Amino acid sequence: MKTKIGVYICHCGGNISDYVDVEKVKQAIEKEEGVSLSKTTIFACADSNQKEMVEDIKNNNLEGVVVASCSPKLHQITFRAVTERAGLNKYNYVHANIREQASWAHSDKKTEATEKAIQIVKAAVAKARLATSLNPIKIESKKSVAVIGAGVAGLKSALELANMGVNVHLIERDFFIGGRVAQWDNLCTSNDKGKDIISRLYKEISSKKNIQLYTGAEVISYSGSIGDFHLKLKIQPRFIHNNSNTEKLQKAIDACPVEVPDAFNFNITKRKAIYKNFPGEFPELPVIDIVSCTKCGVCEKICDQIDFSQKEEIIDINIGSVLMATGFDPYMPAEAEFGYQQSDNVITLPQFQRLIANSNNKLSYLNKEIKNIAFIYCVGSRQVEGENKYCSRYCCTTTIHAAIEAKKKFPEINNFHFTRGIRTYGKQEILYRESLLNGDVYLQSYEDDPAQVLIENGKTIVRINDILTKKKEVDIDADLVVLVTGMTPREDNSIGSLFKLPKGRDKFFNEIHMKLRPVETVIDGITIAGACQGPKNVMESINSGLSAAVKSYSYVSKGELELEPIIAVINKDACIWCGKCAAVCPFGAIKMENDGKKDFAIMNNSVCKGCGMCLPVCPTDAIELIAYSNKEIESMIDALL
Amino acid sequence: MSRINTKFGTDLKKFGTVDFQACYNCGNCTAVCSLSTEEHSFPREMVRYSALGMQDEIKASLKPWLCYYCGECTEHCPQTANPGELMMSLRRWLTAKYDWTGLSGLLYKSFALTFIAMLLIAVGVIAFAFKENFNQETIMHFGHYFEMFAVGAVFALILTPNLIRMWWYVIVKPKVKADFKIYLNSAKELFIHMFTQKRALGCDDNQVRWFEHMILVFGYIALLFTTVFLDWFSATNKFIIVLGYVESIVIFIVTFHFMLGRIQKKKEVAKFSQPSDWLFVIWLFLMGFSAFFVRLFIDMGLIENHFWIYLFHIIVLVQWAAIIVPFGKWSHFLYRSFAMYFENIIASAGKKN
Repeated sequence: MKTKIGVYICHCGGNISDYVDVEKVKQAIEKEEGVSLSKTTIFACADSNQKEMVEDIKNNNLEGVVVASCSPKLHQITFRAVTERAGLNKYNYVHANIREQASWAHSDKKTEATEKAIQIVKAAVAKARLATSLNPIKIESKKSVAVIGAGVAGLKSALELANMGVNVHLIERDFFIGGRVAQWDNLCTSNDKGKDIISRLYKEISSKKNIQLYTGAEVISYSGSIGDFHLKLKIQPRFIHNNSNTEKLQKAIDACPVEVPDAFNFNITKRKAIYKNFPGEFPELPVIDIVSCTKCGVCEKICDQIDFSQKEEIIDINIGSVLMATGFDPYMPAEAEFGYQQSDNVITLPQFQRLIANSNNKLSYLNKEIKNIAFIYCVGSRQVEGENKYCSRYCCTTTIHAAIEAKKKFPEINNFHFTRGIRTYGKQEILYRESLLNGDVYLQSYEDDPAQVLIENGKTIVRINDILTKKKEVDIDADLVVLVTGMTPREDNSIGSLFKLPKGRDKFFNEIHMKLRPVETVIDGITIAGACQGPKNVMESINSGLSAAVKSYSYVSKGELELEPIIAVINKDACIWCGKCAAVCPFGAIKMENDGKKDFAIMNNSVCKGCGMCLPVCPTDAIELIAYSNKEIESMIDALL
Repeated sequence: MSRINTKFGTDLKKFGTVDFQACYNCGNCTAVCSLSTEEHSFPREMVRYSALGMQDEIKASLKPWLCYYCGECTEHCPQTANPGELMMSLRRWLTAKYDWTGLSGLLYKSFALTFIAMLLIAVGVIAFAFKENFNQETIMHFGHYFEMFAVGAVFALILTPNLIRMWWYVIVKPKVKADFKIYLNSAKELFIHMFTQKRALGCDDNQVRWFEHMILVFGYIALLFTTVFLDWFSATNKFIIVLGYVESIVIFIVTFHFMLGRIQKKKEVAKFSQPSDWLFVIWLFLMGFSAFFVRLFIDMGLIENHFWIYLFHIIVLVQWAAIIVPFGKWSHFLYRSFAMYFENIIASAGKKN
């Protein structure tokens, strides 16, 4: 029991003292057991008072400190720091809120407000008497990070982590790196090509000894927690030996008789079963798509480096943190949505981008020359009826940029934009102007009256009631209709399910706090970056990749982690393992264990957040929360009554 | 329903538009316009029709004529899409559409053609004078009758049919039902606007320009009357002689000021000049200026030895009467006042029904 407790009662300028008689509070508290010093102060948080507190604690060898002022959300950290500066363990500090809970709440009843304030401070003193010094829990943390997804966000964060001296396992499910960005030709507002950016990043990655890249790799299981995750990877073989002869391989590709839709070009072209996406792609080694391959053996005869005996590998990795950068899938329009799959000349924006990138001299699609292009915006985004309420943010700019690029390449074309309002925010606005000056026509409608795609006598007519022209009905005869499809979460969410990553309303992975903790997830040690978190453009993806890298680094940089000591502890002897605590724990920190004599609950100290959910459900009262023990809470209640 | 026609925008460029396609429909132009009203809101609507190539709507609209080009819309346009110059270009385009001969359109679009036409007329006049052995009396006599004849012919053959076409586009085709009484009652508007251009006073800070323009109109009409009906160059009456001098001075001083404005480009209205604008103002200036000197030479007895001054005057005059009046900017004098007249008819018919 402490006998030297210092109590400070704050005026808060008048916010408290105008309604609560702080002198009276001080007089009442002075007499409390254990209180050796009590003071009032105009502003407890002021620098001068903080210094005075430090002096008081040192000179009087105070064992506990209470400040009665505002909400602990505002200044608990401030005063804990004061006690620490004075050499007193910060858990000996107790905060009493007499502003929000007394003066502001009862400004019309001053006497009662004062009485209530006295009780609140007494309760705080009661807690302070029993408070004990605590030290942070220290756990070992592996100095390596797994980056899942080698798209632009993953590549950039892997590089950044490697630069900071961390071992990086870069895991890519596809056989080639670069993700979506590798699929884009010219990027907007900078003069780069998507694949050039990827090859620059690849060159940097390959020069780093502390980055291990796995392609064709999937995470199949995971265990452990922050500082000590264990992942199991399944790595598919390429069926081709490294250092193969490029010429022979090209001949093998040419000879392959199997043709399947090329996903790299969003299925508007075909590829072979042995393939690479484009010259100079990384890794610069083709792969055999074993699902489509008929094993006819034609390629083997041409190139002896092809080896069907290669087997998939399973490897284990041990890391301190996981950085998720698994990207997005473009929205797939439903059948008949704006004529999709009803008419051959209705395609999506990603398909259009590949079409422009692959076309030269003349723009044609399915052997039909293209003159009039109709872009229909917000397909799969900002849906009134559908699931996707959000704006995909990148599509207005990308479409306008694609229209400009197309016009540059094929000056004869006409672009018609059927929009629901253009959002080319920031520097991208100049593209909008450029496209307008190119003579592109913009039409607009509200969500309840969207543009219509009509197939009439073999013609594809796009019609709209243009709200910019007195809602007049206007139309065009389109040779190509491009559905401006937004971003959606990955259709295959197996990785999210594996890690039990929470998803937001829009089904993308969710951060803890949109503004204050934008790359952290509720699972300690797992960060998110790029478009797996929500629609982002290249620049934004890289930004989030960099910040996730720094956050992941902070978990592993010291080789050990300091965690908050206020956690729940389980009394093994009292525990009868009913499993109720494990069921209510939102963090999955409680597991069952058996020592050969009985089943009992065991707490993972690095996962417990000290929320206290497990306490009330325990039938044998076997769990106690450090710093909020029954004894402490009971003494506070006694003081209040 | 109408099909979007992007070629129209390209076509309109030849009539003088400047970047109007940069418009992103904020509507600032319409908000700042002091002549735009809720019922007659412009210029954004016209920018939009132009972007979509809705020619029928533009032909049926009088809005281009309701704008008197103060230039505020252009000053406030965040996209520098020059709505003011678009309205000006639409007036040129409408002038070309009203003209049944189609010559206006050709001349607006091609300066080369305009130049050749002007040159041919000059050569023709000189050839005629050569044929007449530069006989002063015959040529001056001819000149006087040419003026009378030209006024009549241009009105009868070109301008009246064109006005009928304008009426067709804006009243008959849109099926405005107006009886004769409405036409009669609205006639007052026609003459008020023809001779006062009072709507131009609705533009902010436009008093000086309005005044200059009005005295130019009066000076021009009066000089036409003085030379054609009072036969100024042969007059002996002192009053008529002085009247002619005053009128011609008014014309060349005001037009000189207008030319200066187009060179200095301080005001929006004068920033973009098409060949048709230059021709109009320069030829009006030359007419006033040469008429003044012809009469001065007559009064000083110099004309016999300096007959070239009259030849110059008659060349300018024939070019003016044969090209600029029927196919050039001159006709805005009629279309603007008739637009106010038709607008009044449409409004009265609307009220009645």
